[in-house]
Amino acid sequence: MKMNDLPLSGMQMPTEAPPAMVFQQLGAITRQLHDALNQLGVMPKLQIAAQGLPDARSRLHYIADKSAAAAEKVLNAVDRAKAEHLALNEQTRHIAAAVLKDPVRAVATGAVMNFVGEMEAATERVDQQLTEIMLAQDFHDLTGQVMARVIALASDLEDSLVKLLVQAAPQEVALRSDMVPLDGPVVDPTGRTDVVSGQSEVDDLLASMGF
Amino acid sequence: MSVSTDMKFLIVDDFSTMRRIVRGLLKEAGYANAEEAEDGSVALQTLRNGKFDFVVSDINMPVMNGFELLSAIKKDDTLKHIPVLMVTAEARKEDIIRAAQDGAAGYIVKPFTKATLEEKVQKIMLKLTATAAA
Repeated sequence: MKMNDLPLSGMQMPTEAPPAMVFQQLGAITRQLHDALNQLGVMPKLQIAAQGLPDARSRLHYIADKSAAAAEKVLNAVDRAKAEHLALNEQTRHIAAAVLKDPVRAVATGAVMNFVGEMEAATERVDQQLTEIMLAQDFHDLTGQVMARVIALASDLEDSLVKLLVQAAPQEVALRSDMVPLDGPVVDPTGRTDVVSGQSEVDDLLASMGF
Repeated sequence: MSVSTDMKFLIVDDFSTMRRIVRGLLKEAGYANAEEAEDGSVALQTLRNGKFDFVVSDINMPVMNGFELLSAIKKDDTLKHIPVLMVTAEARKEDIIRAAQDGAAGYIVKPFTKATLEEKVQKIMLKLTATAAA
């Protein structure tokens, strides 16, 4: 179907069409589009896929929220563990200096035992933070299941749209090179010569260009 | 020759987690002075309102992507001296070549290591210092 076939085309539109007339025209266009898509044989599947889109959107939001919360939790735990580690490092240096200077005094004043006690408490806190990091990974299990459903929906939608494009696109239409979207992460570089598989290949490519 | 750790960085990425990771890695490498922007447009505004020595930018971002930001920086006489290091998941050779031709100082593909980031920053700054001294 060409755009020119639509009833609106070539029609003399009054400058201030009454609302009823506008609705009638819109209805006619919609019906014609619906019939054309049905004739192309893609409408039922496309409709099912399109109906699933709001659900997919909320599922994707769920994944984004879950993974963002996990990342935040991990980074916070790492920040706390690193601060703990830094403090332990400083205390160790102090106690080592005190023991070297006067071992008897270091023990007698309780500095050594205080350090041992603090060390025990700090390692327990770090252990808790490590456990928190481990538990934060539980989102993978949840999001993995959700992602499988979204992928199935996207796949259905893609199938329908590809069929629609193949049947309806005019021959002369070709993708312009500047319309090629950014790819994002390469999921599987196997057999591809247009992508790099690591930093060393980036460096080699840039070096070959004189950068 | 060593690189000054007083340099001010602008980290541009639409994912706050990634900004935080890059910022953390830079801090561990001794570069504690950094600000963040969530896309190219915000970054450009931030660069024009402040004084920055280094930009670390993602490519795939909404509003204004990394290529557009790079191009805008290199067209701006007051900003074009600032090195831009692309840190991105875009692994197509044509993207790497385009970034280099558009004036990027370096290109890192995600996932990357702390060592790679540190090495690239140092290499870029040493090259700039050597060029300025020549």
